[in-house]
Amino acid sequence: MSIIYVLIPIAMLFVLIGIGIFFWAVKSEQFDDLDRQSVSILFDDDKPVNTETKHSETKDSTPS
Amino acid sequence: MKPLDCFHCGEPVLTDTQFTTCINDKEQPMCCPGCQAVSKAIIDAGLTNYYKFRTEPGSKQTALVPEELCTFSAFDLAEVQEDFVHQDSDTSTVSLSIDGITCAACAWLIEHKLKHVTGIVKIQVNSTTERALVTWLPEQIKLSAILNQISAIGYQAAPYQVDEQELLSKQNSRKFLLRLGLAGFATMQVMMFALALYAGYFTDLEVEFRDYFRWVSLIFAAPVVFYSAQPFYFSAIRSMFSGRLNMDVSVSIAILGAYIASCIATINGNGEVYFESVSMFTFFLLLGRYFEQNARQKASVSSSNLHKLVALTAHLITDNGAKETPAKGLKVGDIILVKPGEVVAADGHIVDGTSSLNEAMLTGEQMPVCKTISCDVYAGTINIEQPIRVEVTAVGQEQLVAEIIRLQESASNNKPRVALYVDSISNYFTWTILVVAALTYVVWKIYWPEDAFWVTLSVLVATCPCALALATPTAVTCATGIFTRIGVIARTPGVFEKLTQIRHVVFDKTGTLTCGNLKIESTKMIAGTDEAQVLAIAACLEASSLHPIARAFEPYRDPKLSVEKSQNHIGQGLSGEILGQVYRIGSATFVGVTDITDNTEQAIFLANESQVLAQFSLVDTIRSDAGDTVKQLKKIGCLVSIASGDTSNHVEEVANKIGIEDVNKGLSPEGKLQLVRRYQTQSNVAMFGDGINDAPVLAGANLSIAMGSGAAVTKSSADLILLGDKLSRYTDAVNVAKLTEKIIKQNLFWALGYNLFIIPLAVTGHVLPYVAALGMSASSLIVVGNSLRLLKVRL
Repeated sequence: MSIIYVLIPIAMLFVLIGIGIFFWAVKSEQFDDLDRQSVSILFDDDKPVNTETKHSETKDSTPS
Repeated sequence: MKPLDCFHCGEPVLTDTQFTTCINDKEQPMCCPGCQAVSKAIIDAGLTNYYKFRTEPGSKQTALVPEELCTFSAFDLAEVQEDFVHQDSDTSTVSLSIDGITCAACAWLIEHKLKHVTGIVKIQVNSTTERALVTWLPEQIKLSAILNQISAIGYQAAPYQVDEQELLSKQNSRKFLLRLGLAGFATMQVMMFALALYAGYFTDLEVEFRDYFRWVSLIFAAPVVFYSAQPFYFSAIRSMFSGRLNMDVSVSIAILGAYIASCIATINGNGEVYFESVSMFTFFLLLGRYFEQNARQKASVSSSNLHKLVALTAHLITDNGAKETPAKGLKVGDIILVKPGEVVAADGHIVDGTSSLNEAMLTGEQMPVCKTISCDVYAGTINIEQPIRVEVTAVGQEQLVAEIIRLQESASNNKPRVALYVDSISNYFTWTILVVAALTYVVWKIYWPEDAFWVTLSVLVATCPCALALATPTAVTCATGIFTRIGVIARTPGVFEKLTQIRHVVFDKTGTLTCGNLKIESTKMIAGTDEAQVLAIAACLEASSLHPIARAFEPYRDPKLSVEKSQNHIGQGLSGEILGQVYRIGSATFVGVTDITDNTEQAIFLANESQVLAQFSLVDTIRSDAGDTVKQLKKIGCLVSIASGDTSNHVEEVANKIGIEDVNKGLSPEGKLQLVRRYQTQSNVAMFGDGINDAPVLAGANLSIAMGSGAAVTKSSADLILLGDKLSRYTDAVNVAKLTEKIIKQNLFWALGYNLFIIPLAVTGHVLPYVAALGMSASSLIVVGNSLRLLKVRL
């Protein structure tokens, strides 16, 4: 039974870490836009090829 | 054949396969060159995924915006930027409000389009608030270029200034979330130990372990009491200073009292501890407040998005030509050039040029007013046809717009404030609880001193007005949720009770009962020609004009026809050559009609060189649901009136069509306010409006409703905003409000009933503190559950 003297402080430490993560998440605006973050994983990152076409496109469109 | 839908915006394609874009190796139909250009830009940027993951179609890219409106160069001036751009050592940051975001895929699209642009350090798009935060390097890219990039993929971005109220409510809401989360974590832990302690009663827990659990609970409950529950203490102190007691007073006493007593019990090693009651209690209370806070923040965000910066710059005429200067730097006597499509930057009078100006922002009337030399023009109105030179006569607070806003503020200060139910109840309720608790303590102290403290505490906890405190906010939050779903935004607290008390509804005409844009009602052929061809010719002539009349002809455009030698005759009409024939379109005098048979105001004529060809009657279309809404309003016992600034017969026509008998026309903003004041002596009045001229009367009415398409100032002074421009939303809102009122009454009845039942038991010492806390929680859960019923309403 005296093991709880060790286990409970460890549990407390976990809770503290949990609270720390929660505070970080709130402060870094993770909860500000729930729609956006929930689907962002679906989108692939751009293929590297596209970045180049993109730059040429940017140059084209600016003067017009 | 079934008409195709535009792949980008989902609207029917009327131009066949004239415009297409190749998406994923397949030619997709587009409805207009605007959508085509936007989808091309998206595909070229390698962002095809947008079409794969979007859940809503994009917004229609109506006729390419005139170039004058499209230039963002004004935003590059340092003097303009200092208002809304945050400068760091080498980067700048700006908040943009973005029009046209329909789903999360839009946010992704904008982020990815801009992420790779050289010079942009960071971009973060929030699809809920429809805003973006952009950080860039000013040496490498200009703000105007960033705005251009966003507009290339079909979104209109503009910097906005966050108003203080919104900033405050955002901070508050975040702090609340922190407090709530912390309380949640801690409560879970404390409950765990509490279970062990309760179990310990039956299994003879050793004192050593019992005390250990108590100390751990004490530590976990501390942040809840000292951090999470802070808002209650401050509110309690504030209310005590103002001489009234609110529920937070007894809440604070219960939380602090129970915590301190439990600490003493823990340290001395005897007595009872109530850490779990304290934590749970705080958590439930915070949960209710957080929902309420969140709903309020949502409302303030959507109104703050309307505060776009208009007329930032003016073209000041100097000795070496026109120079772009910030509007706030203008002085009385300066001469400014206002190009077509631009917003007038300051009040003044015309010194050179003739043009028509759209004053809808001031008057709510969509028809432009023709103005020439020495006529007055006002800041915020839009120049339509020709460049004009204006001598500035008033700047800043002297301007008409500022004057109207002041009028609105003074009207809103006189607004009768209907106190919320709970505010009035809670004062008495708290007094009662405190007196009962004090008496209990005194009596028990005299007869059974050892039990006095815990009995008093269980009185405080059991009678905790938690359920009472949740009764209104939870119901209001659920109702606000439904409002958002049906497209109604409640901007001020107390809207729900006001909605049920309205017995008289006053409508503005233009933009409220009518849509505010012209449509061709009938075409009368004078010479025997083909109607479709006449319409096509008229549309072709009008295509070059920015006038609202021209917009009525837009659907009839034939891309095969083109006009040459097009000429704009201000305030009269247009002329031009089509297929070798000279045509004139415009007013009766302009085309040379003498015998006007039909005396409707909005009749325009088309003529060629030899004869008059046709007469078009234009009307402002009445909203499709206006008639039904008026019928509904009468059915629920409301009087209905029109108060319009318009003097024409059109007002009566509209009134007749939708069945309103009480018509007041030709009213100034002050006149409207007086009218509403007169009606207010008999009953509570709701006012519908959309122009800036309606702002004062909106502020003066018991309940004000603005249409989603109206002027920004109107919306910021209104209690309710109807999005989607459906009038019937109002009657839906009334129904929701009635149900909300019913549920609030049930909640209050339950909460009070529970308290009245538990007080005698607690006072006589029959309720142990943990039972009290359980009872209190159960009663709050029932209240919350009852409120949640509101979310199931189908309209």
